[in-house]
Amino acid sequence: MKKIFMAALLLVTMIFAGCGGSDSAGGDKKLSVMLGSNVVSLDSAQATDVASFEVIADCIDGLMQLDADGKAIPALAESYDVSADGKTYTFHLREAKWANGDPVTAEDFVFAWRRHCKSSAEYSYIMGDTVACVKNADAVIKGGDPKTLGVSAPDPKTFVVELDAPVSFFPALMAFPTFYPINEKFYNSLAEGSYGTSPETFLSNGAFMLASYVPGAANIQLKKNDSYWDAAKVSINDWQYQVVTSSDNALTSFKNGTLNVVNIGGNQVAHVNQDAELAKNLKTFSSGLLNYLSFNQDPKNHHAGALANANLRLAISNAIDRESLVDNYVMNGAKATYTAVPIDFAPNAKTGKFFAEDQKQFSDVVSFNVSKAQEFLSKAKSELGKDSFELNLIFSNDGDANTKIVQAIKSQVEENLPGVMIKLQPMPKAEYLSNITSNSYDIALVDWVPDYNDPMTFLTLWTTTGSEIAEHWSNADYDKIISDCSTGHLAEDYDARWSALYDAEKILLDNAVIAPLFTSASAVLISPNVEGIEYHVAGISRVFKNVKLK
Amino acid sequence: MYTPQSGDFKLVTDRNIALDENFSSQGYWKGVAVHFFRNKFAVTGLILVSLIILFAVFAPIVSNYAYDQIVSVTDTSGKEIIAKSLEPQFGDGSAQNFFADRTFIFGTDDMGRDLWTRTWHGARVSLIIAFVAIFIDMLIGTSYGLISGYFGGFVDHVLQRFIEIAGSIPTLVIISILAIFMEKGIGLVIASLLITEWIPMSKIARAECLKLKEREYVLASRTLGAGSFHIIFKQILPNTIGPIITQVMFSIPVAIFTEAFLSFVGVGIVLPQCSIGSLIEAGFNNITILPYQILPPICVLAILMLGFNLIGDGLREALAPKIEDM
Amino acid sequence: MSKYIAKRILMSVLTLFVITFVLFVLIRIMPGDPFPVERMSAEMILQKREELGLNKPILIQFADYMTLLASGSFGNGTSLYNGAPIKPILTACLINSFKIGVLSILFGTVVGLAIGIVAALNRGKFLDGFCTLVSILGVCIPSYVFMIFLQYFFSYKIPFFPYFFDPSNFMASSIMPALSLSLFAVSTIARFTRNEMLEVINSDYVKLAESKGLYGFELIRRHVLRNALIPIVTVLAPLVVSLLTGAMVIEKIYGINGVGKLMVDAIAGQGVDYNYVLALSIVFSALYIGAMLVLDILYGIIDPRIRLTTKEG
Repeated sequence: MKKIFMAALLLVTMIFAGCGGSDSAGGDKKLSVMLGSNVVSLDSAQATDVASFEVIADCIDGLMQLDADGKAIPALAESYDVSADGKTYTFHLREAKWANGDPVTAEDFVFAWRRHCKSSAEYSYIMGDTVACVKNADAVIKGGDPKTLGVSAPDPKTFVVELDAPVSFFPALMAFPTFYPINEKFYNSLAEGSYGTSPETFLSNGAFMLASYVPGAANIQLKKNDSYWDAAKVSINDWQYQVVTSSDNALTSFKNGTLNVVNIGGNQVAHVNQDAELAKNLKTFSSGLLNYLSFNQDPKNHHAGALANANLRLAISNAIDRESLVDNYVMNGAKATYTAVPIDFAPNAKTGKFFAEDQKQFSDVVSFNVSKAQEFLSKAKSELGKDSFELNLIFSNDGDANTKIVQAIKSQVEENLPGVMIKLQPMPKAEYLSNITSNSYDIALVDWVPDYNDPMTFLTLWTTTGSEIAEHWSNADYDKIISDCSTGHLAEDYDARWSALYDAEKILLDNAVIAPLFTSASAVLISPNVEGIEYHVAGISRVFKNVKLK
Repeated sequence: MYTPQSGDFKLVTDRNIALDENFSSQGYWKGVAVHFFRNKFAVTGLILVSLIILFAVFAPIVSNYAYDQIVSVTDTSGKEIIAKSLEPQFGDGSAQNFFADRTFIFGTDDMGRDLWTRTWHGARVSLIIAFVAIFIDMLIGTSYGLISGYFGGFVDHVLQRFIEIAGSIPTLVIISILAIFMEKGIGLVIASLLITEWIPMSKIARAECLKLKEREYVLASRTLGAGSFHIIFKQILPNTIGPIITQVMFSIPVAIFTEAFLSFVGVGIVLPQCSIGSLIEAGFNNITILPYQILPPICVLAILMLGFNLIGDGLREALAPKIEDM
Repeated sequence: MSKYIAKRILMSVLTLFVITFVLFVLIRIMPGDPFPVERMSAEMILQKREELGLNKPILIQFADYMTLLASGSFGNGTSLYNGAPIKPILTACLINSFKIGVLSILFGTVVGLAIGIVAALNRGKFLDGFCTLVSILGVCIPSYVFMIFLQYFFSYKIPFFPYFFDPSNFMASSIMPALSLSLFAVSTIARFTRNEMLEVINSDYVKLAESKGLYGFELIRRHVLRNALIPIVTVLAPLVVSLLTGAMVIEKIYGINGVGKLMVDAIAGQGVDYNYVLALSIVFSALYIGAMLVLDILYGIIDPRIRLTTKEG
């Protein structure tokens, strides 16, 4: 017995050897920020999620960056020239260094861009003709020679990009991580696949560098990068991210001072609003993320293609009380949306008005109007010769909010549209994606994160060859408008393009290809001593470079 | 000399056996019952479980609300609002009471549904899952264990290898693979319980069988020409019932627990259906700000677990009163 | 004895191989691609499948995987931690889970034994009832619920422990998860100890020792505990494995980088990551089979009766 006890004691000592001795880092002064999910990868060719992009952007600068208002301002590029036809961009790089002392050169960009096109990564599409229109990008993505990509480095401080068509938002795109540089020499010195998996295998040139990180870490420590070109403006030294998945945990950890910046859910917002002292810290930011119902219109669909009937789709869209959805169930500042492009998103470069400023624009086809919905339904019933419809609604069950939204939709639709039955089918994200890309669903709840601040990030979703979330809807007029606006003759005429996009949106909503629901928001609690976090609707959602602690 | 032949003896099935009524009325099971009811803990367990079952059966029937009904109430300004996240309240008609006409014994959830109804509906779903799953487990596990134990040798070896392999695959992996072929919901939970829970049952049955198959009465009926399956199911099985029932009492809480875990992780019950597990999961998301939402399902879960465990313990002692009581 | 051990080890390796094959096939027929597809075109998806070798016949894929395993690698993750090698991440997670697991097993064993012994020695009295109740309560409350309460009271109401797991302050931040994880072990071991103790106390040889004049603690230590402990070893092995899987929710709540959290992320996260699920399943199964093997051999060493029969057989 004594021996067993001694052995146990020894084991415990061994476990804790080397674990002690750390001071718990004087809590109050340190910035601690909540991340809603794990960082998937710090390799910008592999990252696919908001959290990864944010941390990459903390550590690496691109050619341009977004200021507090979301406007593109120079970062590593001191200035840039655009050719008269808008198809050639020449960036002049400033004197900047990687954290290991190497200078940042145009070659680093050429290397990274070719790599991001080549690696059949999810985000390689952003280089292609639907978005950035970099010359030959689509061919390279399909397996062509990366050397043919339209980028070049005539000298170490000049980076030239050739485009297939003028892209009005190209400078702002340069703030997105897919367009960031990678130090070629450093990358090649690492073992295959190990880039960005630890502080040692990740090289930063931005405001911060990694102090501690392992893939999947719930806690990520960052520190100031003293060799950053703009280091004088960076005032925080050590700070950290903490992954928190429950919004109740987020609230309590904010209350007891463990975290300074947290995102909370609807119920927590209601609770915070009852407490005047706490409510002072509450801010809501529109996230530019559109939640909508996607209707599968494949006539061969297993429910006899009932949804191929436009009147049935219109009936459902008009039977949903979006205001009630937002006020009672989402509750975090989200806004009911009646357009295919979210609210507070994509401002017109000339007037400054948001694309979806006028929410009443399509109110004849998207609204909450029970009697109209029932009219649509009776038309659908007589056209289809059926009296009752049972429809599956699939959604990804990775969030509490989704579950509440679909239950509310089910209850509203079933109450307002007699004869329509909705069956809820929750599934893990991967299975959900596999279902919507293989067209095996009736209705799907989709939330689409915009990648760049232009209506096109949404409107390209519904072209015949658009995203993989295909509603199996095809309209030649719609396709033509979109292609004219991206690479065709309208690409060069800002105003004509803008109004043509409204025409496209009208076609879309007249046919009720989707039923827009609401524009998401994030409700954030920020400690009074933290100032200067910049929130953006597209691309990098939060920027911490200019944060000051009081 | 006469050589024994296979037709010499014929097995008499229990149709025409004269039973000693007086003795059998003093039987084994009566003793077990006496022992069981003498145990205060076991009786408490029985009462707790019966109470929960009673509520689970009748409370949703009697309730004013359906489990998936989003209830609207009229607020002080006369506006119809959704009755969401209301703390427990009893409509007593008094003027101070906010929604004087409504009673929500456990309050409402954040969708505006009555938690009293949902809790008992959830308990009902959980209990159904547990009973169905364990009943089928008992059938499969017992037969498997008895056959394996009785035949021994090669059969036993193969069957035990299979158990070892099946038992070494993590439950969560089995469930997520199952989830692909089946629609989510009660069926999936039952199926995953079936796949994982029969193993301990079969181990007990095998151990009992190994003990019993050497007994004289088994030998006797074998000499009399009874077939293997007759011996297994007619002679050995009735004598393993005790340990197996005890195992069932311990398996039911495990099944309820597993269901709660599955629903908590998100592969269980499909909303707006509910079970104890999905209610706990929903309450967990708001535990510090709306703590009253998580308490009822947790209490029901704890009481059920306690009850079944007490019954199990009581049964085990009553079935094998080897210590001191003898 | 050594022949028996060799045979057991061989059987275990064989079992593990069969399991690996079964898992491999089962996991490969899961729907959905093991990489994020939301923004990919159909062509790109086909290309990526080609790149990852998902188009090859399943047996060839399995052979490839076994070669990889033989070289001591689990390959690369495909969607979870994109493209990064699995082994270092898995090792780091295993170490975290292992530390907390050992701590909770130790705690569970010590407290469980104490409760069981006290209950057995006071059979039928108030203390027995009390201890039984405590051990039953451990089975009644899911460990994650206990964890939630601990976190609420001891790091929020009374901020004594860190609110989230802090790797730089391992000692303080591992106490709450270890405590809640040990709950199940405490009750299982307590019940087992109590029953075994009672059996031994009533056995003839203890009665003989008693009649020879051995009393009290000395008797318990020399005769009762020693023999009662043997069957307890049997509960420990499955407990260790159930700890690993049972830690899933707790690791998620408290933000611990452990294998449980890794498993949940791999199955229910952004995309099913075949390679992680496979690697983790193999590790879990290997642990389980390994624990059983060690147990079998240990059992033979501890209990002379078993050693004798194996010699004969």
